[in-house]
Amino acid sequence: MARSPKSVQIQAEMVANVMTVYVGPGDRVRPGDTVALLESMKMEIPVLSEHDGTVTAVNADAGDVVQEGDALVTLDLA
Amino acid sequence: MTTTTAPAAPPAQARRPKLPREQDPRNPNFRLAALLDEGSLRLISEDDDSGMLAAVGTVAGTPVVAFCSDATVMGGAMGEVGCKVVVRAYERAMADGVPIVGLWHSGGARLAEGVRSLHAVGEIFHAMTLASGRIPQISVVLGPAAGGAAYGPALTDVVVLGPEGRIFVTGPDVVRSVTGEDVDMLRLGGPEPHGRRSGVVHLLADSEAQALQNARDVAALLGSQGVMTPEQVEQRDLATLLPESKKRAYDVHPLVEGVLDQGTVVELHAKWAPNVVTALGRLGGRTVGVVANNPLRLGGCLDSASAEKAARFVRMCDAFGVPLVVLVDVPGYLPGVGQEWDGVVRRGAKLLHAFSECTVPRVTLVTRKTYGGAYIAMNARSLGATKVFAWPGAEVAVMGAVAAVRILHRRKLLEVAPELRTQVENELAAEHERIAGGVEAAVEIGVVDEIVSPAETRQALADAIAEALTAHPGARGSHGNIPL
Repeated sequence: MARSPKSVQIQAEMVANVMTVYVGPGDRVRPGDTVALLESMKMEIPVLSEHDGTVTAVNADAGDVVQEGDALVTLDLA
Repeated sequence: MTTTTAPAAPPAQARRPKLPREQDPRNPNFRLAALLDEGSLRLISEDDDSGMLAAVGTVAGTPVVAFCSDATVMGGAMGEVGCKVVVRAYERAMADGVPIVGLWHSGGARLAEGVRSLHAVGEIFHAMTLASGRIPQISVVLGPAAGGAAYGPALTDVVVLGPEGRIFVTGPDVVRSVTGEDVDMLRLGGPEPHGRRSGVVHLLADSEAQALQNARDVAALLGSQGVMTPEQVEQRDLATLLPESKKRAYDVHPLVEGVLDQGTVVELHAKWAPNVVTALGRLGGRTVGVVANNPLRLGGCLDSASAEKAARFVRMCDAFGVPLVVLVDVPGYLPGVGQEWDGVVRRGAKLLHAFSECTVPRVTLVTRKTYGGAYIAMNARSLGATKVFAWPGAEVAVMGAVAAVRILHRRKLLEVAPELRTQVENELAAEHERIAGGVEAAVEIGVVDEIVSPAETRQALADAIAEALTAHPGARGSHGNIPL
């Protein structure tokens, strides 16, 4: 049976300011790749992908305030 | 409402063709032989239909007692006779003072035996609890472990989950009939829920062989702890493992590996509460435990789950006489309503309690910063740390200097024109740091013993532990290891 690729979100772990999103739709992301940089607790915190996949959507932009659990990037798993 | 989902995959054993017991890979003789060093296995129970089999043997030369569910008989269900096999195995391990490894694949208590089987399962729990903190207990869950078979592993020190291991109190059918939730065994009690969410499982394995190897590694680390030999510690410059910018978060794993002897690291609870790393390994040839903040996750903040995870690990190490190395880079406790309601006060208190009662050598290293309540919780001098080291430039403070002056000089800052505020803040912060903060002040007060360079850190840690071990040989806590 043909299945559509499984979609996953990379989420913010905590309340943070989005400093940079490094990826865009169509980009290939591998485990360990940095997809975004957040600012929280006066620190710059890189967000790493646990997954291998292709970016289908960017859900947050630089300057946004994200809450715990908010999507940053959506991937279709490879 | 009806939901349509693909039918759940049948349980693994249902896919396998029926094999005679002599060829069935679930035969406990095979599993115990795969766990133990070749040729070391000696059975200490009858190989019959009790549902349990026990043996003595060695792992990497370390003597252990082991037992295994017999999943070829009634799916490994536990009856009166089988439970006695486990209780006797515990008596043997306690008498020998050696680790015990349990291999689990069991649907729980034998229904046909009624309350007799429940009573017998309860006796296993009792034996496990009496052994807690006295001998290392390691569980490997290789198949379904339901009901009583779930709480057996849960009472032990380290739980390893094989790829087909599933742990739950009530299975998918009962869950569906009572709550209406449609869930399969994998999602209810597989690697994802127990590795990441519940904290039941310490180690996830990709294969049964890997699961058994994990158990061997942990049993050898706890059962044959070795002798600390500081003169064998090779120096490494650990400074290269941190980013240049002090504001930049980083993954602490390379630092943990850098501190420990190469190839000896076994991380426990890697995916659960990942803002604290807890790992066993060797330093100068001797087993030690490492507790480290991980700035990459939640900025390295302590929170309720990570404090509890660290507390349990500290208590386990203390009970088995394993010295601790505490790597500190912590901005504080994670603020939030969710945290407070989640019991960050109660669960955070466990870490204060665990370190305070700890009698093994426990050496702290502050790499970059340690603030506030989290400063105390990460094995501060005040909790009785054996030694507190700091790297040059480390910050030991109630909070960051800018945050501090915003409180201390709130009125004054309000009077400053907005465009000048940042500049004034920075000036006040520099002044504040001169008076109150900085690692030199911490040394003066006596809450940091010594500033060490990153290149000399391994030696300093090993020397401090070796010295404490000489002063208090065999120090270990006299308490159980309740699964906090």
